[in-house]
Amino acid sequence: MSLLSVAGVSKRFGGIVANRGISFDVAPGELIGIIGPNGAGKSTLFEIITGFYHADEGEVRLDGARLTGLSPDAVCRRGVARTFQKLRPFQGLSVLDNVMVGALTRTKDVRHARERARELIRKVGLSEKADAHARTLSTGQRKRLELARALATEPRILLLDEVTGGVDQRTIPDLVRLVRDLHAGGLTLLVIEHNMRVITAVAQRILALHLGEVIADGPPDAIARDRRVIEAYLGQAYVP
Amino acid sequence: MSAITPAVVFFAAAGLAPLVVRDAFLLDSLVLILIWGTSAAAWNVAGGYAGQISLGHSAFFGLGAYAAALFGARWELSPWLGLAVGAVVATAIGLVIGYLSNRLRGPYFVLATIAFSQVLLIVGSRWRGFTAGSEGIPVPFRPGFWTLGIADKRVWVWIVVVLAVLAWLVQVYLDRSRRGYQLVAVREDEDAALSLGVPARWLKVAAICVSAALTAACGALWAQYVGFVDPFYVFSVDLSVKFALAAIIGGLGTALGPFLGAALVTTVETYLRAQFGGIGAGLVGIYLIVYGCALIVMVRWVPQGLVGWIGDRLRRRAVARVAP
Repeated sequence: MSLLSVAGVSKRFGGIVANRGISFDVAPGELIGIIGPNGAGKSTLFEIITGFYHADEGEVRLDGARLTGLSPDAVCRRGVARTFQKLRPFQGLSVLDNVMVGALTRTKDVRHARERARELIRKVGLSEKADAHARTLSTGQRKRLELARALATEPRILLLDEVTGGVDQRTIPDLVRLVRDLHAGGLTLLVIEHNMRVITAVAQRILALHLGEVIADGPPDAIARDRRVIEAYLGQAYVP
Repeated sequence: MSAITPAVVFFAAAGLAPLVVRDAFLLDSLVLILIWGTSAAAWNVAGGYAGQISLGHSAFFGLGAYAAALFGARWELSPWLGLAVGAVVATAIGLVIGYLSNRLRGPYFVLATIAFSQVLLIVGSRWRGFTAGSEGIPVPFRPGFWTLGIADKRVWVWIVVVLAVLAWLVQVYLDRSRRGYQLVAVREDEDAALSLGVPARWLKVAAICVSAALTAACGALWAQYVGFVDPFYVFSVDLSVKFALAAIIGGLGTALGPFLGAALVTTVETYLRAQFGGIGAGLVGIYLIVYGCALIVMVRWVPQGLVGWIGDRLRRRAVARVAP
């Protein structure tokens, strides 16, 4: 039984086809990477799964129940959490309050939410910054904050849009370790990532998108050798 | 010192003042400060906490004022009933404006709220058969609590303090409750809030409705207190700006801020009117210029408002005392 199932999803913006007949299933506990050059439709796919965009065709199901047509907040309450490619912390709030907003989706008790938020802040390694305003954080710290905030909603599947994008090289290993730990803890993840080294290191399975379509779906080493993937990324001249 | 101590001191002082103060002018100022403070606090629920900046809140204030006045003048019913009906009608209109807030964001929402208050101004000033048109409605004075015909200003202070504390408690609830946290998240970034499971749409609508109902209640009490409802005053943009300004000066999204802001704005306005108003004086509108300058100064140098500014000072002093 798949946890998340995407079936024939298409999305057009005027004349541009952002997603064309995308279908795949995610099994519980899987960590799937999504790769593809800019404009391949990766983020659009995330927006559709999380209810921010409405698909023109196709549908998304979580554990058999339709997510298509639900508002983003309802999708989250069903158990799908996400981070944003362009980070969106609540700038004027403290780190703790940011994470509490996520926790309050699962508990009505503010005190309980605060404890839960502190735990998660510790888990992502931001304890020292718990009382700092979100706007004072570095990009790497903001990524951790978004992660903690999304985890606070107790997701069954977590969608990460560019975990290491815009982060300096030294902090990448820590973020990768964090994602690995989450996966080892039993969480199902769908991860968009540009950095091939990172994605092949963490993902069990990779989905390659190009011009809105799935062009390859398989284990990382097979994807790295895939003719169409190399062509999409580097152009025909590089295909051996 | 707990976070609510200053507010408790403020309201206790306001409530006890009539026992000491006998001066009619000071008591009158206190009643008005509390009414404007409560209106600003009501505005703050939508504008400060939920981030739905409205410059049309006079629509709700005017509705409350007209409801109370019409109930008394036209049907000889209790203005308290008028207050309740005004609050219900304002809530209904709040639903419409709340719906708009989900369609229009930022400046477009602000424009829509201004338009709303101006539509009501036209209705109020033209529908002669019902509202007495642009002449306005004198509110009949019928002695008694049920008819709100109260000559003693001290009693007025106590009545208005009750409403003020109610508006303050609504804000304290928002400071501490789950719904408050979620509302602030919507203000900071609506999409991010949605992604975390916050039901942003209906929270905004709820905040605007509560804000509308409280503002209407202020309008009703104000009409009874002043004794005359003029459509060009109660539905004016000036009045909406006054609510917003008091909240911004006091501190957006803080529970006590709107009351401090209103105290400052009302005092300055009264002083300027006394100084430059008068018959034949050419400077009647000078308080508007001062409003404008005050807003610029606040937004530029003290964006966190009086409450935030005073809080910072106290904290710095506490730190300085510990340091050496």
